[in-house]
Amino acid sequence: MAQKKTSHRTAEEKAAAQAKREARRTRTERSREQAEERRKAAQRKQQLTRVGLVAGVLVLIVGGYFFVSNLGSDKPTTAPAGASGTYGLVVGDADAPQEIVVYEDFLCPFCGQLELTVRDRLDAAIEAGEVSVEYRPLPFLEGIDDYSPESANAFAVVLNESGPEVAKAFHDLLFDNQPSEQGPFPDSDELVDLAVEAGAAEADVRPGIEDMAFEGWVDAAGEAASKAGVNSTPTVLIDGETATGQTIGEIAAEMVGSTG
Amino acid sequence: MKDWFGLVARLVTGGVWIVAGALKLPHPADSVRAVRAYDLLPEAIVPAVGHLLPVVEVVIGLCLVLGVMVRGTSVVSGVLFVAFIIGISSAWARGLSIDCGCFGGGGEIPDAAAQYPGEIARDVGLLVLSLWLVVRPGSRLALENLLFPSMADPDNDLDDPDDDTEPTDDYDEGSLDGAEEDLAQDR
Repeated sequence: MAQKKTSHRTAEEKAAAQAKREARRTRTERSREQAEERRKAAQRKQQLTRVGLVAGVLVLIVGGYFFVSNLGSDKPTTAPAGASGTYGLVVGDADAPQEIVVYEDFLCPFCGQLELTVRDRLDAAIEAGEVSVEYRPLPFLEGIDDYSPESANAFAVVLNESGPEVAKAFHDLLFDNQPSEQGPFPDSDELVDLAVEAGAAEADVRPGIEDMAFEGWVDAAGEAASKAGVNSTPTVLIDGETATGQTIGEIAAEMVGSTG
Repeated sequence: MKDWFGLVARLVTGGVWIVAGALKLPHPADSVRAVRAYDLLPEAIVPAVGHLLPVVEVVIGLCLVLGVMVRGTSVVSGVLFVAFIIGISSAWARGLSIDCGCFGGGGEIPDAAAQYPGEIARDVGLLVLSLWLVVRPGSRLALENLLFPSMADPDNDLDDPDDDTEPTDDYDEGSLDGAEEDLAQDR
């Protein structure tokens, strides 16, 4: 009897426990489903984030590319009056027996050294009709300072406004007063002063120097030189052949050795 | 520990990319000339490469430093370093004397041959760091850990079907009741 009662109670308890288990299982299953749903929603969200990131990066790259591509001057590449068709100024008799081309940057120290080394002898040779020299200023050192393109532009402005002779004098003055690559760099006022010293009228050259009037031409000069295989300044061509000297002295000897 | 190393790898590689790209960004013509000086790529694509490279460098650098899409950007980073190593080695082998243009500049310089070994060594080092991040992109203090919490735990991989039950295991009895309450509200 007691046993029966016990077993009866146990059966009831069993049933209750069973029901409880069932309920818990249902609850667990339900919450599991919910968690699964939540997890899937989170996954979808993360998927979206991922796509968004990739899209954002692509937009940055494409946008940046167009931005950078349009950073260059939008000014026309019109050459200054008196310039050669090859982005330079030819000094001396074009029919002279020897033809020298000097690619140079007004900021490049070696160009300054070369200029000071050969100038007098080269000028004498030009005077004597033995050689013609084409100076092709380049903005190669724009990465160091804007003085590089600014001085090249100023040279073009002076050439355009005041003619080849004043431009040659300005060219010489720029190298005589060359700043160090560490700066400080002359501003446009100082460039105007040098131009005036060379013989230009301030009113003629100031606007062009301040507005970078020939920036397009200067950029095109750099591009043309680079495409011609000129990777550094100074690069000197003697009758079309690149001077092979490794030092300024050697290049100077190639330039003026035979004539001076 | 490895995660901390990942952070260092990200910051070093990413930092170098940002600096290298940012120095080149303002001078696209310079960048194009530097690419051209290697004399490796056809002229038709030289300007595009010169313009695109600084932008890609900065974006890769930002992704690495912030810690987003680390694996993907590390693959690109590694590919670029391999390309640079090939470029510099080839310039060296051909006897060119050019500035690598790695941080702006570029073009011929007098004592380039003396600098090539150091430049190659640096790029190899950065390549190794990039490869580390390709193999193990997870690291500390990455934005990715916030955006993709389920990925933050290195043992938990979304692609692994065995993990499907894992999140539910985290729910204790208390949160089960919470779930039921949520359900009740829905009804």
